[in-house]
Amino acid sequence: MTKWGMVIDLDKCTGCQACTTACAMENNTLPGENWQDVLYYSEGSYPTAKLTWLPRPCMQCENPSCVAVCPTRATYKDMDAGGIVFVDWNKCIGCKYCMIACPYGVRFYADEKPVVEPDVRDVFPGTGQLHAPPYQGPHDDAVRGIGIQPKGVVSKCTFCYHKVSQAPAGVADLDEDNPETKEFTPACVRTCPPKARYFGDLDNPESEVNRLIADQRGVRLKDHTGNRPQVYYLGSGADVPAYQPPKKS
Amino acid sequence: MNKGNILQGPMGLGLAVVSAIVALAAFGYAFMDLSAVGHRSFNTSSQIPWGQPIATYLYFALASSGLGMIAALSLVFGFKQFLPIAKRAIFLSFVILISGMAVLAMELGHVFRMLWVIPLNMQIESAMFWMGVFYVADLIFLLWKFQKMEGREWDSKTSKQIGIASFLAVLLASGNLALIFGMMSMRPFWFDGLMPIYFYLTAVASGLAAVVFFTYLAYGFNRDAMPERTRAMFEGPMGKLFAAVLGGTVLFIAVRAVTGLYTNNPEISVVWRDFLFASPVYQASLWLGIVAPFVIMLVKGLRSNPSMQVLVSMAVFAGLFAERYFFVVGGQVVPLFRGTWEWGLIQYTPSLTEWALTIMGSAMLFALYAAGERFLNLSDMPAEPAPEGATAAA
Ligand code: SF4
Ligand code: SF4
Repeated sequence: MTKWGMVIDLDKCTGCQACTTACAMENNTLPGENWQDVLYYSEGSYPTAKLTWLPRPCMQCENPSCVAVCPTRATYKDMDAGGIVFVDWNKCIGCKYCMIACPYGVRFYADEKPVVEPDVRDVFPGTGQLHAPPYQGPHDDAVRGIGIQPKGVVSKCTFCYHKVSQAPAGVADLDEDNPETKEFTPACVRTCPPKARYFGDLDNPESEVNRLIADQRGVRLKDHTGNRPQVYYLGSGADVPAYQPPKKS
Repeated sequence: MNKGNILQGPMGLGLAVVSAIVALAAFGYAFMDLSAVGHRSFNTSSQIPWGQPIATYLYFALASSGLGMIAALSLVFGFKQFLPIAKRAIFLSFVILISGMAVLAMELGHVFRMLWVIPLNMQIESAMFWMGVFYVADLIFLLWKFQKMEGREWDSKTSKQIGIASFLAVLLASGNLALIFGMMSMRPFWFDGLMPIYFYLTAVASGLAAVVFFTYLAYGFNRDAMPERTRAMFEGPMGKLFAAVLGGTVLFIAVRAVTGLYTNNPEISVVWRDFLFASPVYQASLWLGIVAPFVIMLVKGLRSNPSMQVLVSMAVFAGLFAERYFFVVGGQVVPLFRGTWEWGLIQYTPSLTEWALTIMGSAMLFALYAAGERFLNLSDMPAEPAPEGATAAA
């Protein structure tokens, strides 16, 4: 069975945030919500200060703590969808317990309801499917939390399921350089200029992601939480420094 | 027997009406904000998803559980000295839980959806699912027990069984509420297997504060107006019980603070040092709202003094509210995994809308309580003192 996984090579990542932008464009995320973000950490002090960074999507954990706490099963791990963790926007009650329980802080809650809310479909009437934002994309799927996030529910990264689900069955890797799979590669992977991100099937021993994890000692962040991410990191800087309060000047 | 109860006269009606107006006004304000801009009118965010409304709910839910446990002292365990407040405690427990739930309802993204998705999906792995189950059971048993008391059925077998069931529901509900926080290993400030014990203790402390305050209120803060057995309870065992429970609370906070400050883990020690102890509000609520009341209740000459009892109950009210607030927010102030994006502790101050919800819940409690005092006989107790042999040692 397919188990989608991502590998991020921090020795290649330049921290340019192209992935973050691509994700926002692809998924129409609400302002202030970054399903994908690059986090920066600074340690030490002049002249030996160091700056590290790491891109952070949802880890699509093998053992996701967000799923267990959700009282409504709105958050669920879909093994038939490569083990991606989804939020069913029709079931979520906005209790935000999953946001408490996710160790990686990658879930977002939005409830910004304008005073007057014209229905765009009335303003620009059309027939059939209205594709372009701001209303509806071609692959909207509220059951998987794909589309424009409605009010009062939690959203998160879907590994671009609307793309990867279209990939040919049994494919080992989704690579933007391969014309066969380019269209099905998640937006952040496809857009990454230095090709620091890889996407493929962790259940397939032949996949490039598995080879990279094995050869370059891929690690999972915050592994002590037991969540067992399906996102691996390569290279130096693949750790999260402990929180340090800023020094009072 | 109830002559001294000032709330049974026009005062009761007046208090009920005024509180209802305040509750409605606060509700109206919050509702306007929520329907105009949604939960953006809260100062919570994706970094601090649970703010003061959750702390308020927690406070009310636990005070309700504490009141249930206090009622169980006489109804289940046979400490007959506490019978004079049993009925009032059960009633307060019920209305305080309703008020807490009203606040929670305004906090959720989709409160009505909850009514069908939770039962239809049966996610028994989630502590929040069990919170729903146990608190609904709690409400039902409280109401049932109260109805038996209204029928003056104090000693019948069913009444006793419902009393026991109600006590168990209270334990399960508040213990499970504790685990909603205590089981979160990714939030080390909360992660603690003994959290239910801490919640039980502080629940009883806030329950005592409520029942002492509201009983005095009913009698116009005049102990001489109280029925004899009620007065005897306040003169005798109440002060000692209050002292013991506050002592346990102080001890629990102290060991949590000591282990918290001692650990190297910044997600715990920084919270204690830079968020709790650095805040004058926390300091004031700890020393004036919990430690000072404990000291007052320790002193023999003071613990039965009526003004001291009222003062302590009000101080504990405020002290424990702050305790809940700092507990809930403290678990979230260390930025998870955010690096330089979130340099210091995450800042959170409740917005006016969030305050409106806290006021709404409190005013609702006063309104329901005053109406109860006015229309139901909350001071009722079995006429005869306990028969010999049924009394356990106090
Ligand atoms: S990273 Fe967080 S949101 Fe994503 S699957 Fe893991 S626990 Fe859930
Ligand atoms: S906020 Fe929604 S997805 Fe998260 S735990 Fe609550 S119901 Fe589940």
